[in-house]
Amino acid sequence: MMEHAHYRAAILADPHDSDAELRAHREACAECRAFTEQLLKFESRLERALRVDLPPRGDVLPFARKRANAAPTPRGWLAIAASVLLGAAIVGGVWLTLPQSSLAAAVVAHMAGEPEAWQRTSAVPTPELEQVLNDSKLRLKPDAGTVSYATTCSFRGHRVPHLVVQTASGPVTVMVLVHESVRRPTPFDTEGYRGTIVPVPGHGSIAVLMRDPGIDAGEIERIAARVDNSIVWLP
Amino acid sequence: MNDEAGGKQRRARFQALCQSLRPDLLRFAFWLSRDRALAEDVVQESMLRAWKAQDSLLDEAAAKPWLLTIIRREYARTFERKRFSTVDVDELIAKEEPLLAAAEEQDIRDVRIAMMKLPDEYREPLVLQVLMGYSTAEIARELGLSSPAVLTRLYRARRQLRAACGEDTSQDPQE
Repeated sequence: MMEHAHYRAAILADPHDSDAELRAHREACAECRAFTEQLLKFESRLERALRVDLPPRGDVLPFARKRANAAPTPRGWLAIAASVLLGAAIVGGVWLTLPQSSLAAAVVAHMAGEPEAWQRTSAVPTPELEQVLNDSKLRLKPDAGTVSYATTCSFRGHRVPHLVVQTASGPVTVMVLVHESVRRPTPFDTEGYRGTIVPVPGHGSIAVLMRDPGIDAGEIERIAARVDNSIVWLP
Repeated sequence: MNDEAGGKQRRARFQALCQSLRPDLLRFAFWLSRDRALAEDVVQESMLRAWKAQDSLLDEAAAKPWLLTIIRREYARTFERKRFSTVDVDELIAKEEPLLAAAEEQDIRDVRIAMMKLPDEYREPLVLQVLMGYSTAEIARELGLSSPAVLTRLYRARRQLRAACGEDTSQDPQE
């Protein structure tokens, strides 16, 4: 059997290491299991601590400086004013009529920030998953499927669980959006992602999406319904 | 005309890519420099460099690690240019206090302060692993280290961090 010190050194270097020998040691050794659980709690704190909130100051995108330095001509000013008015009208119109589409865009934009989430296939250690779910006061039923990624993310000013569940149709990302409401199921198909945001009465909404652009919209709906049914909301 | 339209499209696409990756890139630069203003400068310069070198990005799915490498190099260049002497960590912490204390929970602030005090050689691989989701092999490649060296640094980083945050480290293996 692996020595405790060897196990603990390895798990301190990578608490998510899914090596079979490490897993076997953890299952056989209560002390090292307790050590791991303690470490994973700290890891959750560390993840949240590293996600410092750095709101945009408007000058960090490419071309921003160039634009700021360029003095527009009078004709340029007219063009800018017209663009601003037109832009405001379009944005205002879209915002009023389709608020959910901006939510879907934000969900898809969030995916680009965590591409590694799709790559993992092995199950997240139970204490780690529980920590993420407990933070949001929910739990998953045992038949929810294998959760291969679980973290708490900052999304539109709130902390939300971001999970990847392995299904027969492939990996599915689930974001539980307690603070975001939609009036009806909102399917979307953009940037190579297909998904839907479904309302959950009393608990905001759930976003479910896949990277497979060929997946049938009906299948997405069925997956979303299964995910919705597998969530237990804690008081 | 088509060239112009294509150029605008390319530019808009690149801008959208930067926009979506920006929060993590800025966080990475912040933990690298521990200085928000410097982090923003580094990210800004890096994005301009990235725009000029975008032909070297063959797969858009690999944009994040590609940009992180550019940010690391840009930060190193900035460091060389400004010829910083020793860094006063307490001064940095005092300067960034509003940012570090922004978390509702005191224990998160404690971890952030401990991270600020962690030596560079431990802080950087830890940020790549925890925040960016890099594997040991990817960190080794990025930092030009062997995998065992990365694991040792990560192990020491967590030991130091946990001790600084008052966690019970009596069960940790001794080196």
